[in-house]
Amino acid sequence: MTEPSAPAPAPTDPLEPWPDTVDWRPVSRSLITVELINRAIWVVAVLAGLTVGWVLNGHWGWPTGMAVVLVFAAWRSVVTVRAVKAWGYAERDNDLLVRHGLVIRRLSIVPYARMQFVDVTAGPLERAFRLATVQLHTAAAATDAKIPGLPPEEASRLRDRLTALGEDRAEGL
Amino acid sequence: MTAAYPHPQPEPGGPAAAEPDIAHAPAAEPGTPRPGAAANPGLPRPGVEPPGVEPAGAAAPSEVVVDEPRRRLHPLSPLLSGAKSIVVIVAALSWQTLSEVGVERFALVVAVIAVAVVVFSVIGWLNTGYHVVGRELRIQDGLLWRRNRAIPLDRLQAVELRRPLLAQLTGLAELRLEVVGGGKTEAPLAYLTVREASALRQRLLALAGRTNGAPDPAAQPAAGPPALERPLFRVSNRDLLISQLLTPQAFLLPFGVAFVVMQFVLEGTWTFVGIASTVTAMAGVLLQPVRRVLQDWEFRLARDPDERLAVSYGLLETRSQIVPPHRVQSIGVTWPLLWRVKGWLHMRMDIAGYAGPQSNDDKRSDRLLPVGVFAAGRELVWEVLPGVDLATLATLPPPSRARWLHPIALRSFGAGLTPEVFVSRSGLLTRELTMVPYARLQSVRVVQGPLQRLLRLATVYGDTAGGRSGVAQDRDVAEAWWIADQLSTRARQARAATPSPPHPSPPHSASPHSVPPHPIPPHPTSPHSVPPHPASPHPIPPHPASAEPAPVEPGLHRPEPDQPGAPEDDTYWRRPPRS
Repeated sequence: MTEPSAPAPAPTDPLEPWPDTVDWRPVSRSLITVELINRAIWVVAVLAGLTVGWVLNGHWGWPTGMAVVLVFAAWRSVVTVRAVKAWGYAERDNDLLVRHGLVIRRLSIVPYARMQFVDVTAGPLERAFRLATVQLHTAAAATDAKIPGLPPEEASRLRDRLTALGEDRAEGL
Repeated sequence: MTAAYPHPQPEPGGPAAAEPDIAHAPAAEPGTPRPGAAANPGLPRPGVEPPGVEPAGAAAPSEVVVDEPRRRLHPLSPLLSGAKSIVVIVAALSWQTLSEVGVERFALVVAVIAVAVVVFSVIGWLNTGYHVVGRELRIQDGLLWRRNRAIPLDRLQAVELRRPLLAQLTGLAELRLEVVGGGKTEAPLAYLTVREASALRQRLLALAGRTNGAPDPAAQPAAGPPALERPLFRVSNRDLLISQLLTPQAFLLPFGVAFVVMQFVLEGTWTFVGIASTVTAMAGVLLQPVRRVLQDWEFRLARDPDERLAVSYGLLETRSQIVPPHRVQSIGVTWPLLWRVKGWLHMRMDIAGYAGPQSNDDKRSDRLLPVGVFAAGRELVWEVLPGVDLATLATLPPPSRARWLHPIALRSFGAGLTPEVFVSRSGLLTRELTMVPYARLQSVRVVQGPLQRLLRLATVYGDTAGGRSGVAQDRDVAEAWWIADQLSTRARQARAATPSPPHPSPPHSASPHSVPPHPIPPHPTSPHSVPPHPASPHPIPPHPASAEPAPVEPGLHRPEPDQPGAPEDDTYWRRPPRS
């Protein structure tokens, strides 16, 4: 809580541009839980494998590997918490802004007119926490406008709004 | 939306009658397959050329409405496509197999395979058909898994007519339609007779050009004799050969030959299979330049009567491609290192629908200029993106502290915003320049890695549907933010202006053959010169001394005041204040 998404002074931070005009919306904090559970499952699986190896072999490398995995997972978890807080989106009059990433920061500006289709997906874990992911696709493969961790109502509102705006302002290529 | 923009083109007799009806435009529903267009010329669709002004339009739409019968491909097509698969299979069998099983049995195996392939092809041919329904091309094919595909023609990006060697011998051609969204060409119609294929192509393009607010709908072909293409440029085959000799592969060839000869001399084995295998392997190495020569042979670029770009090239496989100019997503210019001695460059145009940048270079039909001097490139850029002059595209390198990221190549990076395009360049040895028209931008991204964050830098990408992006590498953060804002704003303005021509070219005349529609008149006889044309409203400024867009010194460069649109660009060259 002490470190919200972008601590840097706004005018020079590429992830917080136009601070006066853009109203950034965060994604749901439950996404942190989902991400952590995902990581925990992965860590448990790897640890189980390493334990089997240790029992069979008894070499000191196995517990070392386990320690490394644990440290790595702990570090990634800390990053996840901050990364989820850094994820944000904003709807402007003509385009959708999405920013994410901590190590590599990315900001996407996607005009509604360029929308080809919208994906709303929700995995089992996401559904358990009532979350969904909205992704906006354009004709450019490089476009990267994905908003995870939205409550279903917000996801469908966003989807409907995006499709409505997309139809309204659709252009050919 | 499009109805809100008035048609600026002077159309004889058209707009006066049509203009008041635009208010009633909803009466003509966009989804109907235009039967009313021919019957009721007073009811134009919004944003669409009023059918009354089309000289040939009276015949075409009525023809469209008729649910025409399904047509078959040419009866020889199973043989031809079978031959292709047989070649592939024989190549897969390789010389090694030939030496093991002997020539007779090898021939037998090939014959059996050939018969099987042809039988399958014939069955496939019986199940394949195509027809035009309304504004769609429908193609049925498939033997076990039937596929019935409808291609909306307003999504058509480019049409290509390919004639492989066998098809050239038999007078056939393959028609390939490019639509967005497929990793490969979605609708290859192989094979049709050349006459049939060209007629179908003209018809599909005419249907395609009718909705999409093409910048030049007034230039419909006259009904009488077919109008001629206006040649723009042709590449001399001598230049092409020399250009491909100036490639690393060609330079390495003598060493390869020497190595092979040495090996044979030392080992003393001169079997047929050995030599054949070696030659095949050498061909693999040499293939790139040789293939380029074969493919780009006799390269010609023209404008067809409807102002589309018509590109044709190839020796063994001829390709003839027609691209509406507004379908060009970006233009890339490359100066390979070895070509600098001749001052040559290479240009490509990206079209949506062709697979992404990773795909094989030979499969893509994206050539705009296989090889040419700067003046030729400049002329072609002006033709494809009117108002863009390759000689005055100014770019600004990243701030000098980016030297930490690019110790050597810093000066080779650059980005700039001109009134029409987003320019970026990169590459120290092989210089590349990318031009993305604002109207073709799909999305804008700002990316900042950890090192860039330390140096207060960021990279801006302008993504296009063509698979390549314009990249402003390592700009100052404030500047990156400013570029991103400008890109999205200008893209929006350019999109809004799309129904009317966004470029400063003079309005198209209804008779394109009497008046050259673009400032640069065609000079087929002297393609290497950019002719001065004082009568044109926007003549290309005089040629600068350097043949390449030289790196611009920060602080030294200011755009020329006489450049169109320069004042609004001024802000870019005044760098944002450093914080």
